[in-house]
Amino acid sequence: MMTGRDACEVSIDSENEMISVRKVIRNVATEMGFGVTDVTRIVTAASELTRNIFLYASSGTMIWRTCEVNGNTGIELIFEDHGPGIADIEEAMQAGFTTGGGLGLGLPGTKRLMDDMEIKSQKGEGTVITIRKYLRRC
Amino acid sequence: MIAKNTSVIKIYNTLLVTVPADPDDNTITELQEHVLESMEKCVAKGVILDISMVETLDSFFARTITETIQMVAVMGGDTVIAGMRPSVAITAIQLGLNLGNVRTALNVELALDMVADFRPGGQK
Repeated sequence: MMTGRDACEVSIDSENEMISVRKVIRNVATEMGFGVTDVTRIVTAASELTRNIFLYASSGTMIWRTCEVNGNTGIELIFEDHGPGIADIEEAMQAGFTTGGGLGLGLPGTKRLMDDMEIKSQKGEGTVITIRKYLRRC
Repeated sequence: MIAKNTSVIKIYNTLLVTVPADPDDNTITELQEHVLESMEKCVAKGVILDISMVETLDSFFARTITETIQMVAVMGGDTVIAGMRPSVAITAIQLGLNLGNVRTALNVELALDMVADFRPGGQK
């Protein structure tokens, strides 16, 4: 899906979208030249953040695009929702912290799997999480 | 509804469960029920969860697997996870999944060796 394009938006409003998000990201990352381990890291991170959206905000969007930061080519994924927001980002980044009855691994785990992660959140307004992974060239 | 692509077959006293490649959350939840019902129906002593086709093991999937192992245990069975791909193993540990107390095997064949003592007249 969406081959030959370097950006695309996927709306997330049900659990069924988990599969389409994972498929789209797997295809895009593989086409960009990521190896199987990095593809698995990126898809798993996307899966965590997609689940967070319908768990906490019920709907939102994911945008993927290729990016260039300091001469490094990579993939950038932006997850945006207009849900309740994250009250304390520092707390949310701690392993084991959860308000949703999960394992509390999603956010800190996602950060470990990716190269960059930025969280912007306003209580009552929503959350925007941007993650990036760069292609390594020898 | 039985989870599509999920096969549960009985080998001696062990259930061999093949987990599909990219299951959604509902499929994973159905799989859990299917395994437990099959435990009772087949009078199985153990379960091998073959995850060699699984490409994405996220925290929900891992939590459901860990839960399933505990549920099988309280029903009196042992579980072995078989065939985790290298890329999935790397990702699972870096994500922070705690699979430390889970019995694992490189593939189904070695998992069958581990549960050989469930077989009538088994050696191990």
